Amino acid sequence: MLETFQLPFVQRGLIEILILSVPAGLLGTWIVMRGLAFFSHAVGTAAFPGLVLADGLGFAAPLGAFAAALVFAVGVSVLRGRRSGQDTAVALVLAGCLAAGVILASDVFGSGSNIETLLFGSLLLVDGGDIGLAAAAAVATLVASALLGRHWLRAGFDPGLAGPARPDPRVLDAVLIGLVALATVAALTVVGALLVTALFLVPAVTARLLTSRLRSWQLLSVGLVALEGVVGLWLSVETDAPPGATIACVAGAGFIVVAAGQAVGRLPRLAVLATALGALALLGVGCAATGGNDGGRLDVVATTTQIGDFAREVGGSAIEVDQILQPNTDPHDYEPRPSDVSGAAGASLVFASGDNLDSWVGQVVSDSGSDAEVVDLGAIVPERLPGESTGAEASRFDPHWWHDPRNAEAAVKKIESALAVADPAHKALFERNAGAYLGKLRALDAGIAKCVHSVPPKQRKLVTDHDAFGYFANRYGIEIVGAVIPSQTTQAQASAKDLSELAETIEREHVTAIFPESSLSPKVAEAIASQTGASADHTLYGDSLGPQGSDGATYLSMEEANANAMVRGFTDGQRGCRPSP
Amino acid sequence: MQAEPLIEASGLAVGYGGEAAISGVSFALRPGETMALLGPNGGGKTTLLRALLGELSPLAGTLRVGARCASVPQTERSQLDYPVSALDVAAMGALSRLPWWRRPGRRDREIAADSLRQVGLDGLADETFGKLSGGQRQRVLIARSLVQDARILLLDEPFSGLDRPSSERLEALVGSLAAEGRGVMVATHDLEQAQRWDSVLCLNRDQIAVGPPQRALDVDVLEATYGGAIVELPGSGRRAVLPPHHHHHPH
Repeated sequence: MLETFQLPFVQRGLIEILILSVPAGLLGTWIVMRGLAFFSHAVGTAAFPGLVLADGLGFAAPLGAFAAALVFAVGVSVLRGRRSGQDTAVALVLAGCLAAGVILASDVFGSGSNIETLLFGSLLLVDGGDIGLAAAAAVATLVASALLGRHWLRAGFDPGLAGPARPDPRVLDAVLIGLVALATVAALTVVGALLVTALFLVPAVTARLLTSRLRSWQLLSVGLVALEGVVGLWLSVETDAPPGATIACVAGAGFIVVAAGQAVGRLPRLAVLATALGALALLGVGCAATGGNDGGRLDVVATTTQIGDFAREVGGSAIEVDQILQPNTDPHDYEPRPSDVSGAAGASLVFASGDNLDSWVGQVVSDSGSDAEVVDLGAIVPERLPGESTGAEASRFDPHWWHDPRNAEAAVKKIESALAVADPAHKALFERNAGAYLGKLRALDAGIAKCVHSVPPKQRKLVTDHDAFGYFANRYGIEIVGAVIPSQTTQAQASAKDLSELAETIEREHVTAIFPESSLSPKVAEAIASQTGASADHTLYGDSLGPQGSDGATYLSMEEANANAMVRGFTDGQRGCRPSP
Repeated sequence: MQAEPLIEASGLAVGYGGEAAISGVSFALRPGETMALLGPNGGGKTTLLRALLGELSPLAGTLRVGARCASVPQTERSQLDYPVSALDVAAMGALSRLPWWRRPGRRDREIAADSLRQVGLDGLADETFGKLSGGQRQRVLIARSLVQDARILLLDEPFSGLDRPSSERLEALVGSLAAEGRGVMVATHDLEQAQRWDSVLCLNRDQIAVGPPQRALDVDVLEATYGGAIVELPGSGRRAVLPPHHHHHPH
């Protein structure tokens, strides 16, 4: 359990959450007391479109979030009549902000921002700037509480007590909301825009059940934020859930335990508190059953499914392969999870695909504090096709190099030599395994060539979901007519104009089949197929192997399955490379 | 020779957004005087109190408030759940005397404790405010106005919801505070009790009457004040006002 807290990124998150516990706990009590709970929740959500805008337009995210939160706060303050209608105004603006953020994130800026991360936070993204912002929020909150705390208390109790010389209640509220906005922005990276409230309000409300005096309430709130934050962080690393969500769950559980404890007989408060803390600790320990050690085997990280397969073939029982991407996940839009980082922590070697396909691997390795060597296999393969010059994943070469078995051979040789250096004791085993596998790769290459070449060249016209099969087509003499997503990355989007041009091309070229990819949604491909009369029955494995038990579970069977599917598509189902099922 | 008045209003008009809610208000409150503020809901009682506290500025006429004013408001539901003790509430009074950046010290806590003793609550200083009875809460708020060192006390319907013993104790306290030279203004619906104060001010958007209750209160005045919602109690000849069921602050 404690090793988790030794990972550099978890430590950063830990420092962040412990510093945040001061402003979050203190502000939580003021927010509850001043009746601004819903309002402050809305401030967090309002920051969301600001984050998206900052991300899309390329200025500092905290600036965008803070500006949006302030605009929202001022807007609602102006809109609200002092008593009724405030909640309605807040709810309206809140829904608007959430919708605007989602639309901006998905339609205007496309792939630029990951909505889930913005809404629920990510431990992996916490950096020194966030920690500095949290410290600033903590200091500002402490100073403001010392100077204005008694006035907030008084104004909440009885606005009428203020004489003309006292701080104006509106000024007091504005300062409080300003602080909430600042602390919210500081907390955005780690808990996300939607669940900031969990960090600010739930612990304060829980602590309120246990005490009826301000000072002890505030101390208890700060303590609860720290405790629930740490437990939530740890849980988030263990479960790969976003930290905002796990902290919210832990805080909610804490509240339920305390409230239930009070409902069941009027237990002494200390007993209730002890029970609550005990339950939280149990929750932690209960989930602490983590994987055991690997019995002295060499730890190796592979980013993609096909590289994981190569590594397992070569390393055999001598290595433990930690493969980051799972079957049918799309590497182009992958966001590393905490477990990927903890997996990399003990690794000696990291095999990457390169060419910007898995550029996130560098961050994973540095966050893990590991000094593993990263082997970029894309950099050493012999057959190269040009990549895209623009877009989110521009690279010199097309990253889908493994679809040419000659490149796979080179990659396997590189893996063998890297393993032999890292674990010389098993050099002979690696050589033997690699030799056997290279034989199978050559047989695969010859078999596919023979099968594909049995189709007349003018029938070998390929239309797929995205441009993932350049190497395959190049190797076996297939003409690529078009792609649903006219790009080597799945992150691009096809416009209506692109699609209608594609449909025209398909009809003009007499293409008989469109091939959906297993890791992408087949909807668009199917729609075009039904529009043009082509079939969309044959699925290809583009960016990822298939799951266990599918015909694409290994590299060898995947390439064979692709060849089989293509030949069946080209010949209208007449022929294949395998007996039909 | 009478003492200088604590409050002097002449032709006063006050309102919201430039529109007068009350007008033609002229009266004086002297040290030691208790004054009942009578009027229907929406008649402008709260507006007048807010003007005296300095929250609203006169639209016309003059208003001179010659001493520190403290308000004793009705308890709102939100206050019952507030994390403060009786002593905390009383000590809030010190904030009105201190500059905003100064925090109340030990001396101010002692003054607050003394004030609670003065209103007969010395044993309940550490009790949570919301746990006190209605009459006790009123007395805590009065203690707070003593901590404010206010010479003018403005009580907004302090007797509503109190039982008879609590009500009598509060009335005696108000009397003794006035005897020490303070001016007390009590907004009330209780016409019978109003007859026991030194003077009454009848307000229904305009000032209807002001003066000692025996002189100022007659059927015409009460009809003008309450708009006919007034009944003669059979046999006794006593006048009563039909009690309103809902209390609305004009906003």
